[in-house]
Amino acid sequence: MNLRKVKTIYLKEMLDTLRDRRTLVSMILVPILLFPIIMFGMSGLIASLIKKAEERPAQITILGEENAPHLTSQVFQNGKFTVVEEKDYENAIREKRIEAALVFSEDFEQRINSEDSAQAFIYYDKAEIKSEIAAEKLADLLWEYSDSVITSRLQKREIDRSLLHPVNIQRENVASKEKMGGFMLSMFLPYMIIILSLTGAMYPAIDLTAGEKERGTMETILVSPVSRGELATGKFFCVMTASVVTAVLATISMSISAGAGFAQMSSFTGEGAQFSIKITSILVILVLFLPISALFSSLLLSLSLFAKSYKEAQSYITPLMIVVIMPAMISFMPGVELNWGLAFVPIINVSLALKEVLLGTYNWEFIGLIFVSTILYASFSIFVTRKLFEKEHVLFRT
Amino acid sequence: MIKTSSLTKIFQDKKRGKIIAVNDVSIECRPGRIFGLLGLNGAGKTTLMRLLSTSLKPTSGTAEVNGNDILIQPEQVKANIGFLSGDTGLYPRLTAEEIVRYFARLNGMEEQKIDERIKEIFDRFDMNGFKDRKIDKLSQGMKQKVSIARTIVQDPDVLILDEPTLGLDVITSRNIIEFIKDSKQKGKCVMFSTHIMHEAEKLCDDIAIIHQGEILDVATLEEYRKKTNLTDLDNIFVKIIGE
Repeated sequence: MNLRKVKTIYLKEMLDTLRDRRTLVSMILVPILLFPIIMFGMSGLIASLIKKAEERPAQITILGEENAPHLTSQVFQNGKFTVVEEKDYENAIREKRIEAALVFSEDFEQRINSEDSAQAFIYYDKAEIKSEIAAEKLADLLWEYSDSVITSRLQKREIDRSLLHPVNIQRENVASKEKMGGFMLSMFLPYMIIILSLTGAMYPAIDLTAGEKERGTMETILVSPVSRGELATGKFFCVMTASVVTAVLATISMSISAGAGFAQMSSFTGEGAQFSIKITSILVILVLFLPISALFSSLLLSLSLFAKSYKEAQSYITPLMIVVIMPAMISFMPGVELNWGLAFVPIINVSLALKEVLLGTYNWEFIGLIFVSTILYASFSIFVTRKLFEKEHVLFRT
Repeated sequence: MIKTSSLTKIFQDKKRGKIIAVNDVSIECRPGRIFGLLGLNGAGKTTLMRLLSTSLKPTSGTAEVNGNDILIQPEQVKANIGFLSGDTGLYPRLTAEEIVRYFARLNGMEEQKIDERIKEIFDRFDMNGFKDRKIDKLSQGMKQKVSIARTIVQDPDVLILDEPTLGLDVITSRNIIEFIKDSKQKGKCVMFSTHIMHEAEKLCDDIAIIHQGEILDVATLEEYRKKTNLTDLDNIFVKIIGE
């Protein structure tokens, strides 16, 4: 194999690829913009909707208010509710005329006064977020009331409140902010790296094979003094470059968005999460990611080389996407851990190993095994791609 | 020069079964001459030329291009051939010069030599006005010139031109015809396939009639006229293929 020719082919394919708008979008724009949009766009939108719903007075109805005049007056004074009249409250909730209903039992006030336990019911629609928020507000109010009743009952007997709390439980999260950040990222990042390294390679792979058949340039290159091996190698490295660039850009963009996102979250909840990644983690991620990127690149090249046209190639690649997405999603599943069996299952092994690494666990035996097995799978796939470039019925399948 | 011996190509088709696209072809195409391959659509012209350019492998038999065997030295064969057909497209996102430079590099030419050669070709075919324009912004005639430049950038001794005028307008076709004549003058060995009779009449020194994968006869136009007592190549062709 003449490396100079491979380099010439690689550079030309890169130039051609970088001038293709579709590839630029999937390789550069999508990975850069995807995470900030998800992180700030989506979560910001949901947060603002919830905040709005919480601030707005909830539309409710009260039944049996004469049974609990004391508590009812608190509901009116509270300012968080607009009380309307609605006899058929269950239907009214379902038809969204009101968000919740508060129903007092007939003997409510009487039981409270006689230091008994009284009944109050909150009706709401759990499938409606507004209704759930309204129910939540009502429950809070009832708790507060209940608490004040307890206090007054205890005071009457001159009993200290601490009697009711023999054990004071306080939970402290000892996970560092870094670990909290790592925990959240460890679910998303492996999946995202795997999927984007596939999608980033997709358009160049199609363009350099089925696309060339469609444009008639495949025959032009076949009659030039380059071997099929040189051609396959040049194209393979171009596709793999696209895959690597996409995944690296995605990782950088995701890390920055996550850092900013966690800061925003901390200001909301007080729970800290911070993103920082060790250099060892980056190296291990790269070591595991490169062979899987090679595997995807050769798979995509083989599938799209076989196709007659761009469209046909896309229809072959769609099932591959599904085959990759399912195992890649294993990083989201709690409790699934690497073992000797899973370490040999392609994609699942890398997804789980990346997850562990992001959590700061370095199981070198598994990392080594996964690296070697993925290289073996990739080599086999590259071998097949190389063979397909020799096949006349594949190259001239038009 | 090109010399084939019992060159045969059989395709396996799922629906139609065994197809003998090129059947036991032994021909010789010499330097300084234009060898015409005349046949109907599907006669086997393109397959024969693809075999010579090594993009297809023969089922049996072999061929030599400038002394290099197509089976043993495919790279040298390709380096000696300039191949042009309706199927050899150009990269739409590259400029005219980038394309010619790319193929020059693949032919192993040195950068300085490439610069000189590009200047020479672009001057000769009057291509300097659009050398930095991308292919998808060029007219059909301009594209055809780029294709010719791509074909001859390494100055090959053998030219294989598969229906090079197919679907082209009159002016563009004329450019190609001139290019073929010019190549002959320069002592190149030109193999040229067509199903347009008057093109063959005008250009070819030797004419091979190919039908259903077989070469029925190879002769000069004069020899054909004597053999058949007919003047027009159309009539000669029809008589020989026996339709």
